[in-house]
Amino acid sequence: MENTSTDIRQLNEKIHQASAFVDLLNMELGKVIVGQRYMVERLLIGLLAQGHVLLEGVPGLAKTLSIKSLSSAINAKFSRIQFTPDLLPADVIGTMIYNQQKNEFVVRRGPIFANFILADEINRAPAKVQSALLEAMQERQITIGDTTFKLDEPFLVLATQNPIEQEGTYTLPEAQVDRFMLKVVIGYPTKEEEKLIIRQNLNPDTNSSIRPVIQPSDILEARKLVREVYMDEKIEKYILDIVFATRHPEDYKLNKLKPLISYGGSPRASINLAWAAKAYAFMKRRGYVIPEDVRNICFDVMRHRVGLTYEAEAENVTSENILSEILNAVEVP
Amino acid sequence: MYNQVTKRIFLFCLLGLLLPFHLMAQQISVMAQTDTNSIRIGEQVKLQLTAILTPAQFNDANFKVAFPVLPDSIEHFEVVTRSPLDTVQDGGRHLLHQTFTITSFDSGHWQFPPLRFDVINGAAGDSAFTQPIGIDVNTVAVDTTKAFKPIKAVEAVPWNIMDYWMYIAIGAGIVLLGLGIWLYFSKRKKPMPEEKVPTISPYEVAVHNLKALKDEKVWQQGDIKQYYTRLTDILRTYFEHEFGIAALEQTSEELLANIKPVTKLNQQRDKLRSLLAIADLAKFAKLEPTADEHEACMLKAEEILEWTRPKEEPAEQSPKSENP
Repeated sequence: MENTSTDIRQLNEKIHQASAFVDLLNMELGKVIVGQRYMVERLLIGLLAQGHVLLEGVPGLAKTLSIKSLSSAINAKFSRIQFTPDLLPADVIGTMIYNQQKNEFVVRRGPIFANFILADEINRAPAKVQSALLEAMQERQITIGDTTFKLDEPFLVLATQNPIEQEGTYTLPEAQVDRFMLKVVIGYPTKEEEKLIIRQNLNPDTNSSIRPVIQPSDILEARKLVREVYMDEKIEKYILDIVFATRHPEDYKLNKLKPLISYGGSPRASINLAWAAKAYAFMKRRGYVIPEDVRNICFDVMRHRVGLTYEAEAENVTSENILSEILNAVEVP
Repeated sequence: MYNQVTKRIFLFCLLGLLLPFHLMAQQISVMAQTDTNSIRIGEQVKLQLTAILTPAQFNDANFKVAFPVLPDSIEHFEVVTRSPLDTVQDGGRHLLHQTFTITSFDSGHWQFPPLRFDVINGAAGDSAFTQPIGIDVNTVAVDTTKAFKPIKAVEAVPWNIMDYWMYIAIGAGIVLLGLGIWLYFSKRKKPMPEEKVPTISPYEVAVHNLKALKDEKVWQQGDIKQYYTRLTDILRTYFEHEFGIAALEQTSEELLANIKPVTKLNQQRDKLRSLLAIADLAKFAKLEPTADEHEACMLKAEEILEWTRPKEEPAEQSPKSENP
């Protein structure tokens, strides 16, 4: 190789060194979490790309344990909010209470003032509570009374939804779902993994606690490097092709998808796909994005951004089916 | 005054004498007859009810005879069928008939009860009754001295071609339709055989494009990214057309995974991997391989093409070559 590309080479080396903590984190989390590598990887992508994660999976898949362990490994503050129908915005963001001794109103901060938030069963709370949380996610600041508080960085919200119980829930509107960078669908562990889970839980000797391996400031540094990861114009075009194919499938010889899609990915989808691809490249210890990175995170970034028509629902076509068709039709650079 | 009273008494007496004669004139003859008075249990008997009318009664619009309405079951008898009313002219008389088929499942001697006919003449009405009929219902005599006989076997229904006329018609219709289609297509003009245009094989296209890429001296002019983009596109297009792998829509990793089933191509896996790795770096990481690497990549592409080159079919010998 010639010296004309020293910038990328240097960046590559820098990222190779800086991203070493990913392996450390994985090793540390592996002490308590068996399997669920995919979910942990997606949490890290959200963390590095300044996004939030919507997680869909049945109860008991170590969602709380994962985010709690991640927060402990990063030495960050963790909060868990169980969303219920009677929850109020003040229960999430905080409120002003009257102090009789001082004869004044003082701010009581809500559980959202933490680095890692687990919003459990977000669809169980009414729309006003959901929007309070989602606004905080977007703006990364909270206003209580007349005072605006910046939320601590890193700030990651992991919201969960249970796919099997829809009765008495408040489905997140499309505009709100779009605020989540990733929607991750997780399944059950394998037989081998579950065997290990049983052993780990029954044997008190194996119960090991997570120790902090990095600091929140390291994550902030890593974010800067993620921003620097090189994305070629060809990759940008590839991302745009994928997103545009969800909007105008007929332009990509996918006429059969036209009646199945009610709306395609928003510009936020393109931005998030690019961000997540960069974060994924960083985690793979590369200083540049390749098409594999885009394809790898495409389903998680796009699945909640492709609206299905009644026809698609009647034919049991999922957004994953549509995205597969698109990825198989769009030319890779 | 006395004369008038006497006249009235005389008139009432006269009326009293004439009225019975008038009523008698309304009387009709009715009867019930059976075709037999002795049946076996369950056997059927024809019961005929008859009303005999004079021509004057028959032609009188106000004169009506109502036949008895028999229920389905009457004492020990069951009514099986009932015929409509029939009118027959017999000499000067008019006979009204109705026939019933009756049966009985109770053995013994039973009386079929008298049946009532209603006679209506304007506002006046009367009734006439038939005579009761005695019918013997006998049980079947069983010879207990003989042994029990087995149940008779199922008897085959005699074969009749008319039972299958619909199937025969459908079969004939299908045969005729097939014949018609065959005639239609056999009479159509056969299209002229298209002249075979010599097609260029994917291998030849790839070789031609590689040569063009070499001749255009793309990397020598500094357009490294373009050079590697075209180089990989030529190979991907060749894989797609020659081996049916959707290589243009696959990433390098996916392509390397998907060539596994194609043995010939899989044998060149290492060469392809190294070529794609350098190409990806050049295309997506702004890295500029050395001139030797450019040449090496071109050489690898040519070697892959040569290795996977399809076997040429033996050329057909022209008539000229046979007769020099």
